[in-house]
Amino acid sequence: MRTVFYRWIGPAIWIIGLGVPLVLGPNWISILSIFSIYAVVALSQDIVLGRAGMFDMGHAVYFGVGAYTTAILNTVYGWPILWTMVPAVVLAALVGGLLAAPIVKLRGDYLLVATIGISQIFHLVMVNNVAGMTGGPDGIFGIGVPSIFGYQIVSQSGLFLVGWLLLGVVLLLMNNLENSRLGRVFRYLKEDELAATTLGVNARYYKIVAFALGAGVAGSAGTLLASQLAVVSPGAFVFTESVTLFAIVLVGGQASIPGVLLGTVLMFVVPQVFRELAQYRYFVFGIAMIVVMVIRPQGIWPRRRRIE
Amino acid sequence: MSETDTLLTLDNIGISFGGLRAVDGLDFSVQKGQIVGLIGPNGAGKTTVFNIITGVYKPTDGAVRWKGREISGLPPYKVADCGILRTFQTIRLFSGMSVLENVLAGQHMRTKQTWWASLLNTPGQRREERALRESCMEIIERLDLADVANEVATSLPYGVQRRVEMARTLAASPELLILDEPAAGLNDQESAELNHTILGIRDSGITVLLVEHDMNVVMRVTDNIVVINFGKKIAEGDPHSVRNNPKVIEAYLGVDEDDDEVAA
Repeated sequence: MRTVFYRWIGPAIWIIGLGVPLVLGPNWISILSIFSIYAVVALSQDIVLGRAGMFDMGHAVYFGVGAYTTAILNTVYGWPILWTMVPAVVLAALVGGLLAAPIVKLRGDYLLVATIGISQIFHLVMVNNVAGMTGGPDGIFGIGVPSIFGYQIVSQSGLFLVGWLLLGVVLLLMNNLENSRLGRVFRYLKEDELAATTLGVNARYYKIVAFALGAGVAGSAGTLLASQLAVVSPGAFVFTESVTLFAIVLVGGQASIPGVLLGTVLMFVVPQVFRELAQYRYFVFGIAMIVVMVIRPQGIWPRRRRIE
Repeated sequence: MSETDTLLTLDNIGISFGGLRAVDGLDFSVQKGQIVGLIGPNGAGKTTVFNIITGVYKPTDGAVRWKGREISGLPPYKVADCGILRTFQTIRLFSGMSVLENVLAGQHMRTKQTWWASLLNTPGQRREERALRESCMEIIERLDLADVANEVATSLPYGVQRRVEMARTLAASPELLILDEPAAGLNDQESAELNHTILGIRDSGITVLLVEHDMNVVMRVTDNIVVINFGKKIAEGDPHSVRNNPKVIEAYLGVDEDDDEVAA
């Protein structure tokens, strides 16, 4: 009975969420749109950090690659927004895989420093407009809205539903990962890489897959962020954004879907609700991080063990 | 013994760490169906030899051959793919995961699931997952672990954890099973059961190479023993002749009894 409950509670909440635009006001709708997008990025960070156990402190880069891909393809080449999601995911996954390839053999803290380096370089490249297409420090303006069957989604409700749909798809993928060979391999590598290797696991290959997969998912969220804000600029993908994503996973609960979602709510929804206190966001979250790490190091909502 | 029955050959293996010659000119071979013991005083280089065979270290000189093909220099996961599987002196189970999930790790090489089938939960993937669980449960039952299959592996008693590690390794269907001090930390009864388990493994067609301190285990189960000291072979033969070999006696009596831990 309990397992049936646990199994359906998630999908049930998601379906109820579809009704949000009918019930809540425009403020809430836009807050929840942003929540969907950042929840997808946080879940993608969790693939690399919480599941495969790699300290990736540059995850906002892949989010940014997706957002910039959409921005350029839409404003320069006139691609429809939803179509740009395909190259955004592919490009982000490629960048993730290629950047990870030479560094995944590094141990924990060393990998962390290397990913910080990636994050700083990405920011510099975008600010200085190295490719001549990214608009420098101001970024790219005038990104369009998604359209489905030729019908433009201009309303905030429509944008919310697109984000909610993407979140649903990503949640489904994460759920499938739990009971699959790939998901298990990630955990074996996290728990004991040497033991996994002697059982025939090609550690380097699967670590690159984890990075590419996490990056690809982050790229899909980038597409929606670009469209939601209509502007993409380097400031949205700086190092502190990566730190925030990292903290969401650790504070919420590694490899725990509800934990990561809760972490996203704390970081991106709560500050919006208490708008006048928004300036204290990092203060409050900073204290929460310290408290959680000290008294509940496994996260607020840790992974629940599945009994089969 | 005909050439085709030789599984593993160590041909003049040597390895140096800085100035230290940990293994020097070591030769021995393992025949199919045997239980071979590798013994020696603490610090003799036994675990280093294991690490060379399983690809963790690359030997400075010489070659390791598997059925005549050179495997030294291959990464550990490819050595595992040849059918050479090992356990660890200090048990290395995946913490926080159930016994079943640990044993499933052994089946990694035997599954064909692609990464996208894993993500999409395809019907083929679900069928494979069911089959995997069934075959793992068989191994779990064979090693008398069915009661604890859903328990967190690392929370179980030490002797049970040893069996879990053994089950995980057997799930990978090894041709050669390398056991690194399987009796370490076991009580008398558990170590007697271990003898039984090792003989059972051999009878199911798996060749065993064993590093062990516990002479009760080594003398009772092995067909052939290789004795090393300071990285060199000092004796080889059946348990009886090795036990009475003066060089072996000297090597063993020459060590400090308290010096019980070997660097892993």
